[in-house]
Order: sequence, then C-alpha cells, then structure tokens
Amino acid sequence: MLQQVLHEIEQAREPLSLNDLARRLEIDPGTLDGMLTFWVRKGRIVVRDGDESTCTTGSGCGSCASTVGCPFAGKAPRTFMLKGEEPRH
Amino acid sequence: MSISYFPNQRADLPLRYESPVEEAISRLSEALATIPTLAHYSPRWLAIQLLEDDDGLAQQVQAAPGGEAVLHVLAEQRDHLRTHYNDAVDITLTDQRYRFVHQITQRVLTRPDAPDATLSDTIDRIVTHKYLGIPIFLALMWIVFKITADVSAPMLDWVDGVISGPLTNWVVALLSVAGLGGTWVESLAVDGVIAGVGGVLVFVPVLLALYFALALLEDSGYMARAAFVMDRLMRALGLHGKSFLPMIVGFGCNVPAIYATRTLESERDRILTGLLVPFMSCSARLPVYILLAAIFFPAYAGVAVFSMYLLGIIVAILLGVVFKHTLFRSKEQMPFILELPPYRLPTLRGIWTQMWERTASFVRKAWTIILATSLVVWLLIALPVGGQGRFADTELDQSAFATVSGVVAPIFAPLGFGSWESSGALVTGFVAKEVVISTMGQIYGLQEAEEAAAPTTFLEDVSGIATSFVSAVGDTLKSIPLIVGINLFEEEEEAEPTALMGAIEAGFEESSGGHGVLAALAFMVFVLLYTPCMVTAAATRQEFGNVWMWVSIIGQFALAWVVALLVFQGGLLLGLG
Repeated sequence: MLQQVLHEIEQAREPLSLNDLARRLEIDPGTLDGMLTFWVRKGRIVVRDGDESTCTTGSGCGSCASTVGCPFAGKAPRTFMLKGEEPRH
Repeated sequence: MSISYFPNQRADLPLRYESPVEEAISRLSEALATIPTLAHYSPRWLAIQLLEDDDGLAQQVQAAPGGEAVLHVLAEQRDHLRTHYNDAVDITLTDQRYRFVHQITQRVLTRPDAPDATLSDTIDRIVTHKYLGIPIFLALMWIVFKITADVSAPMLDWVDGVISGPLTNWVVALLSVAGLGGTWVESLAVDGVIAGVGGVLVFVPVLLALYFALALLEDSGYMARAAFVMDRLMRALGLHGKSFLPMIVGFGCNVPAIYATRTLESERDRILTGLLVPFMSCSARLPVYILLAAIFFPAYAGVAVFSMYLLGIIVAILLGVVFKHTLFRSKEQMPFILELPPYRLPTLRGIWTQMWERTASFVRKAWTIILATSLVVWLLIALPVGGQGRFADTELDQSAFATVSGVVAPIFAPLGFGSWESSGALVTGFVAKEVVISTMGQIYGLQEAEEAAAPTTFLEDVSGIATSFVSAVGDTLKSIPLIVGINLFEEEEEAEPTALMGAIEAGFEESSGGHGVLAALAFMVFVLLYTPCMVTAAATRQEFGNVWMWVSIIGQFALAWVVALLVFQGGLLLGLG
C-alpha cells in the first residue's frame, strides 16, 4: 500500500487532491494522510504547509509593526510531493 | 458504506507478514528467547521492534548476556530482508501492515460503487472541473472587482469629501488661530500631510471592500481550489504548478509572496517564480487603478480594474513560458498532492478580522512610509529652483520636484505621459505604489487649489459629515445590485468628477496631445508592470541575491515601458482613444 501511494504520485500527470488519491487507492483520506506522513518521516516525500511566507527581513514591509503574523501571508493549502532537491531553509 | 461483521472468521485476523518476514521474525524470536533478562518482552513483538530499528531496545539487547549473538542474527535477517525487498526493512513491515489493514477493511466494509458525494465533493466537481475551473475562477475574480470598484464608491466619495473638505478646513482654521495661517507650516500640513497621506487614506473603503471579498473566498476554502485549477493550467504551459500559490499571496502583497516562493523545492523554480510574482497586482496598486478608472473609464471602472489584474496574470504566465524554455530550462516537474480543505461557511468574525488586520496594515503604512515620502515630495515642491518664488511659495513648475522629475519625463513621452507630474509620481512610486496616488494628490491638489469652496461653520461641517455619511450608506446598499448589472441609480445621480480628478484628466490630455484615455491606460499598465515597491526589491535581494534583484528591477522597467508603448502607440495607430 505504501509503495502504491508513491507509485500513484509518480505516475500522476497532474496535481491530485488528497481526496482524489484516496478514492483512487480505495482508502480513507485519513489513512492516506497517515501514509503520506510516514513517507514524510522517511524523507521520501516533502510536505509544505504554506507557512514559509512569513516576512523575515527583520524590518517588515512598512505595513507590519513586527515581523510576526503578516496579514497578507495567508495560509496556503498543505501540499505533498516527491522529494527532489533539498528544500531551502 | 456499510460495515459487516464476520464472527466465524476471527481466526484469520491476527497479523501475519509475508513469509520472508515471518521467517526473519521467527529466527530472531528464537534467538531472543534464549536471553532470560528479556523474558518480560514478547519475543515476537521484540523481534519486530528490532527489525524496525528501535535503537532503545537494541541497546537493551546489547547490554544483556548473549545479546551480541542476537544482534548478529538481527543484522543477518535485516540484510536478507533488505536484499529481498530492495527497500528499508521498516518500510517493508509498515507497508505489509497497511496492506493487512486494507485487506480487512475490504472484507468488512461494503463500499457502494458510486460513493455518496459530500457537498464539498459536489462543489469541487464543478469548481475544479478541467474546463469550467478557470472560467469560474475568472468569474469570481470579476465579482471581487465589481464589489471593489462599484460597492465601495459611495464610501470612497464620502471619505474623500470629509478629508478634502471639513478636515482640511479645521486644520487651516486651527493653524490660523495659532498664528500660522498662510505660512509654510500650513502648506506642510495641507499640501504635504493631508494631500499626501489623506489622498491615500481616501481608499480605505476600497481596500475594505477588496479584503472583504478576498476573505470570503479564502475562508470558504475556495482559494485552495483556485490554486489547484491554476496549477493545472500552469503545468500545461510547462511551468511549475506550485508557482501559483505564491502568486495568490501576491494579490494581497508582493513581499510575503516573494517569501512564499520557499514552498518550491528547486532553486530555479524559486527564482523564476520570484521574477513573476511582482506582476500580480498587489492591493497597493488598486488605488491607482481605481482613481484612473474613475476618471477615464467611469462607466467601466470594474472592467478596467479587472483587466489590469488579468493582464498581470497573463504577462506572468507568458513570461514564465518564455523563461522556462530559455533561461530556466529544467527537468519535468513531478506532480504533487494538494489537500483541499472542506468548504466552510465564512464567519463574520473571521472576515472582519482579516479585513481589519489588512486595512490596519495599510493605514500603518500610510503613517510611516507614505507620510515620510509625502514630506520629501512636499519639501521638493516647496523648494524653488530658478524663478522668483520663495520657500513654500513658488510656482509648481519651478520647484525642485518639477526640475528633478522633468529630467526623467522624456523617457515616458512616447508612452503618452511624459509630463513632469506623472513622471514624478512614477519615480516616487518606486517607494510604494500608494505613493503614486499621494504624489498625484500633492501635485494636482495644488493645481486645483484655487477652486476653494465657500467657507462653512464647524456645526455645518459636522452636520454635513453626518448627512453625507447616511447618504453614502444608502448609496452603498443601492450599489450592491450593480454586481449583477442592475443599476438602481438615477442617471442624474452619476457622481461629478472632483477638481482633483479634473486636474489629473487635463494633465494626461496635455501630455498625450489629446489622447488622455490611451495615456491613462498606458500609465495603469506601467504601474502594473514596473517594480511594485522598494521592499519587494529588498525581499528579492534577500531571497535570490543582488544580481537577480537588478534583473528583476531592470527587466520589469523595460517590460513595463515596452507594453505601455504598445498600448499607447498601438492605440493611436488603431485610432482608439
């Protein structure tokens, strides 16, 4: 099953929603989430939760009093992808 | 979905791994059973934990008498399994456990052939549809800009009336009482602070409307679907689908959008996306579009504003395609999984929080960067260069600001806005796009200052503010049906252009040789495409380095110039405007 998850992502021709993939594998989305989390732990999949857009210049953009909680940053949806290059930190 | 219970098949339930794994567990269990100090553990459980690389238990085994021999067996079995399955042993075991659970659920759960679709599924089937997804996205963005341009207009007029009328009168009166009437201090307060900062604060209702509409889309869960739909389009064009996520952030502000490029793994994709993000119309550019659209396209203000947003997306995608096949060639992108949150009914509190935080940040910016720039612009306007003027009492075209702006004005002459006024506004607009408005307010405000209204008393002012507020609220309610094309306003109720708007219109007409509409359109396109603000440039430098910052600044300027030239000269050739 775990290998099948990786296989389905590798073979996909376009982005998939978590629910679509769960339906394709005939499993519950919660179970798929657990499997993806396992692969994230093993370093085969990278997860991004969209929180990286917080301003880190130390000076803000003139709109914020502090660098924490930029009101424009928003919350991007969580994405999982096969690990390619090392993510930047 | 239904659940079945099979009492007679319980014997089948205990987990059994595939035979190579069971064999390894068995050999290891036998070895572990020879160690009395580990007798309190189940040998099978301990064998599985050791195969799955449990460091703590491995240390316990090593410390036990005879433990070394067990670890030797463990190493043998792990090697054997790794070779057999060509994967890490813990992955193999976890995979088999998942498969076991899946087999059970397949046996005990009866799934309908066509599972019951939830409401989210049904909506998603339409809004993320291969062909309908993008038209729906564009239709929703159109509604956002109808709300922004049409529904906010009455309140914008009210705030404008309060700031340019009673507020200015009170400041002038107070300064006169203090003996400063007619001095440079009055000029600083009225022509510097009120015309500059006030000219930008006028657009607070517009931004409140924009943030309201965006908050509705975000809190309902639609924005994630928009990213999903645009991913598909961008991948079809050979771009990284995830590039659109930072771009959506860019509609609010380009600075966090530059930082959001960190969600991309490849350095090339990060830089490419970082170069494209500034073409997303941030909320700071909106006041410029709104003002010029109200002056030059009063009947189609929503269309004009929407076109700018759309043009930004199209330019970004086209440029991305060009870059992807030239400077940023890279291997094919791997697909990814996107979690689409369930749709939710937005709460009033959630929407208000977003509107308030974003608008508050705009106001904060007005009192920091925009105030500072307005003061510098006022100083340059107040300083006479040649002529007979004195400090704060000089002809505008003989001021230091006009002289400095006049140096760069010829660059913009082929684009139809080669006057020192509009050139100066574009130069100061590099600081922040709202400053384009504040500078125009300062320059053109002085030009139309002679048309002062008749003096009023304090009570008349207060009464006027209250009655005009009630009228503005009524007009706002009446303007809501405009979103769907129903106009409840009488023809004669169409707002008259203010003196400032008239001065700006005359300025563009003059600089373009009577083709003000084309020049204004070219100006809006230029504002859309050149560097959004100095902080975005700084963020680009921080994320991608000095070279890419200059590539971004110079490239955006060149592109803005060429596209604005095409708009103006192309329009002239076609006999438009």
